[in-house]
Amino acid sequence: MTPAMEPVLYLAPRGGYDETADPTGAPRATWSVAIDALGSLSPGALLQRQRDADRLLDAEGAGHLVHDLALERVSDRHGAEAPMVDSRPWRLDPLPFVLDAAEFGFLAQAAAQRMRLLEAVLVDCAGPQTLVRDRLLPAELLYSLSSFRASVVGLAPRRWLTHYAVDVVRDASGVWRVVHDATDAPSGLGYALLQRSVLARLLPEGLRYANVAPITAHADRLRRALTSAAPAGHTNPRAVVFTAGPGHPSYVEHSYLATRLGLHLVENADLVMREGRLWLRALDGLEPIDVVYRRVEDGLLDPLERDHVGTSGVPGIVWGARVGHVALANAYGSGLAEARALAPFMPAAAQMLLGETLMLSSLQPGSALSTSPVFVAAGTDGRPGLEPRAVVLRLHVVWGPDGPSVMPGGGGRILAHGDAPHQPTALLAKDIWVVGLQGEPRSVVVTAPPQVDFGPSVPKRAADALYWLGRAAERAEVAVRTARVVGAQLDQDPMLANLGEGGWIAGAEGLLAAARNEATIFDPGATTRDRLVHALQLTVAASAKQLAGLVQEASSVREYLSSTTGLVLGRIAATHARLVEHNPPSDELDLVLVDLAALSGLAMESTVRGPAWRFLDLGRRIERALAVLGSVEGALGPATQAMTLQPLAEAVLAANESLVAYRRRYRSDVDLDAVLDLLLRDDSNPRGLVFQLDRLREHVAALAWADGLELVQRASTAALESVDGAVLGGRRLAVDSFVLSVRAPLLELADALVARWFADPVSPTMMGHG
Amino acid sequence: MRTFRVVHRTHYEYGWPMADGFTVARLQPRTTPTQTLVSAHVEVTPTPDEWHESVDAFGNCVVHFAVHHPHRSLSVLSTVEVQLHHPSPPTHDVPWEAVVVVARDAGVHVAEYLAHTAQTPRLAALCHLTDGVFSADRGVVEAVHELCHRIFNEFVFDATFTDISTPLADVLAHRRGVCQDFAHTAVAALRSVGLPARYVSGYIETLPLPGSPRLVGVDASHAWCSVWAGELGWLDLDPTNDQMPPQRHVTVGWGRDYDDVAPVRGVVIGPAATQSLTVSVDVVESLLG
Repeated sequence: MTPAMEPVLYLAPRGGYDETADPTGAPRATWSVAIDALGSLSPGALLQRQRDADRLLDAEGAGHLVHDLALERVSDRHGAEAPMVDSRPWRLDPLPFVLDAAEFGFLAQAAAQRMRLLEAVLVDCAGPQTLVRDRLLPAELLYSLSSFRASVVGLAPRRWLTHYAVDVVRDASGVWRVVHDATDAPSGLGYALLQRSVLARLLPEGLRYANVAPITAHADRLRRALTSAAPAGHTNPRAVVFTAGPGHPSYVEHSYLATRLGLHLVENADLVMREGRLWLRALDGLEPIDVVYRRVEDGLLDPLERDHVGTSGVPGIVWGARVGHVALANAYGSGLAEARALAPFMPAAAQMLLGETLMLSSLQPGSALSTSPVFVAAGTDGRPGLEPRAVVLRLHVVWGPDGPSVMPGGGGRILAHGDAPHQPTALLAKDIWVVGLQGEPRSVVVTAPPQVDFGPSVPKRAADALYWLGRAAERAEVAVRTARVVGAQLDQDPMLANLGEGGWIAGAEGLLAAARNEATIFDPGATTRDRLVHALQLTVAASAKQLAGLVQEASSVREYLSSTTGLVLGRIAATHARLVEHNPPSDELDLVLVDLAALSGLAMESTVRGPAWRFLDLGRRIERALAVLGSVEGALGPATQAMTLQPLAEAVLAANESLVAYRRRYRSDVDLDAVLDLLLRDDSNPRGLVFQLDRLREHVAALAWADGLELVQRASTAALESVDGAVLGGRRLAVDSFVLSVRAPLLELADALVARWFADPVSPTMMGHG
Repeated sequence: MRTFRVVHRTHYEYGWPMADGFTVARLQPRTTPTQTLVSAHVEVTPTPDEWHESVDAFGNCVVHFAVHHPHRSLSVLSTVEVQLHHPSPPTHDVPWEAVVVVARDAGVHVAEYLAHTAQTPRLAALCHLTDGVFSADRGVVEAVHELCHRIFNEFVFDATFTDISTPLADVLAHRRGVCQDFAHTAVAALRSVGLPARYVSGYIETLPLPGSPRLVGVDASHAWCSVWAGELGWLDLDPTNDQMPPQRHVTVGWGRDYDDVAPVRGVVIGPAATQSLTVSVDVVESLLG
């Protein structure tokens, strides 16, 4: 037996409660379930499993696409400084935390009781205020809490809490205690679903064999609960998931939940209040919203409210909820119930409001906690092993049309030494399994909830981001490919640098400048080999910048992209970091091209052909058409000597991925007319100009956008002009005039597109205090 | 009884047209034992597309209005008429400690004004104002009088030193500020000894110098404080002018602090653009009343 096969040694601490063994040292039944499901406890197997989990979480973007990326502080396309976000690496422990049915039954009952209590406390504090009147809760305490919103006094929303989460922990004597209530915008449900889907892929037989209760149905329960939270009289209510945006530490979860719930993920800029109602700024105009599952803390919700932080948020949304035209889940002001200062009053409040004794009491500060084995890749001896750690369990309760239901399982946080149990500091998570549940239906067939089908509706902001994602992807590809092609030509034939009195260098420099989307300066006298090498570096740097922009745009529209796309984006993010660090070897550039090709392949093959895809493709087609024109102008515009035409035309063809097609078709030396024909007029060449114009025409027609159609038509008409080789002042006249006359309407189209479909002044500004 | 007419104009100019504007205004005076509201009218230009009136948690009248078409300026003109009755001076005094004892059980609408808030925090520096003022068995009216006097004497009115976001700690450290700051100071000091105190927002008539005509439109909205004195009820004090009771004050509303009763709070949605604000308040005694 090799050392790697030895099972890891776990020493349960003496004296306290440990999840693996009872005080006599006999293994607990739940621990045996975990061991059986895992199959092997060898360090090698656990290490491998953790790595697999890392990889799968990464693919979901859960390793935090943006957060792990060394994005420099770039300005986004609106000119605003992109926010720097804290990196929150997050890993999943390969060992689950197992609860048996009896224990879960108790916790579920206790969590549901606590949700009923907190709902009753909120109802009371906003309404009759008996707790305050009877001095059970001092008014001076209530009115001084930072989470108390005076504007809710007098309000009676249909429900305060739709989704509630409670953190519980087992103390060293084995008794369950409460450490934290989450009532404002409880996080962790999406992470729990995500973690389970990862473990299910790693241990499919284990979960089946151990009869682990499934948790996926909980997402459906949440969706039904949200639907039922709609304001009275709203039939076919429409719900959205409201996030603070990619800068929010839990953005990945928001995006994942939106996808799982089948709801739009919206940001501040997507929403506007009009006539007391909430509207989504969609491509086709304003669409009404009835329920907001807010992942935005209530202090960031509405800049008109007192206690608001900053100017983000949706002005008037709290007013809309107050007059009952939109439901917030959870209601504005629900965060009050999680105030730690209220915890001491809860047992008496339970007696008074529910007539019940609280099943769970709060953990006293400084109490010792129970322990559970946690895998560490490098323990105290530097080798992989298991260490005893405290685990905080987060239980999620959803209040639907049939009352509360508690998710059977969920996410646990593993505390590092010195972590306070109530503070969400842990970076290591545990999947929580509930085993032996009877009567829990494996799968519930539910009739489709009354949701409006909003397949064709896309928020303007998302369409905007997808469009720029398409443009950035295409521009990055052009820059990388052009740098690759010119670099290869120079490497293979250093004599080119002297060809045609610097004519080749002039053309190559023009080609590179065009790839960077910069104006070509035709100045044959001043070109040198050194300048060309510098231009190559500039072009690689430009591509890195485009890749950063691409990832930035993509991170705000994850829910419109497939999970495989997430994997590719993760790779592109990593490559971007390397491109920034050093001047990469050419094979590294080839790998970028492979990833970009994968991205465009996924866009074509794995994306539903709705308006979202259409805007992504519009961006791509516009950028590609501009790139073809730019490369022709940059490399073939200068009327260089005949001997330089051959390598330059080959470079243009290769930069546009048309060299092989050219050779197959013409089997001859390069001929200017034939090159231009293939690149500019051949409608069967997917890299050619006319092909892009044809796609643009289809998209614009599908959008029923008359002005856009006219611009595409103008570009197409201009593209019919013939191009000859007449020369004037060192330039090929016809090439220049062709490029100019086609490019003008295309640039106009790009501007018109932004103005027609995206441009909306959406940034709120506080007015001065009067 | 005297009748006052108040014209309060708030005018915003934007460097570029704004697509949407949302405003919350608390401009309508309350009726109190010493004040009767005769009429109130708010006129907004451009005409708002939405208009909702309500009463907030502290009993103040609130207007939410919104403009949903492009506008380069927003004007809020509030015209009100109130009758002021002279408050009868307290016939006796009660020990301040006795008020502290009953305050907690005097109902939510008294006890809520014991709450320290972000703008009226419980600060150690407040004891420099209360030490020696709230001495054993002293009458609450007498003690509050002296507190009002102390703030007036020890603090310098300086409109350049603070804005509405200046923390109370800075005001106490530098002993400078404007009426909002002095009102917050008084409120926080009273709460720190256990007396319920309200922040009051309103207007004050500026008296003309003898022989000179009254200036029109130079006044701003004013703020002062109200303390709960047990059986004596709520007593107003204006530490900015060292007046208790205040003489020529028109009460608009009250709350725990400025943020509860800000006269006009708003958000505009539109391109980034310059913004300018002018406020004028004109308080005149109506001789016809």
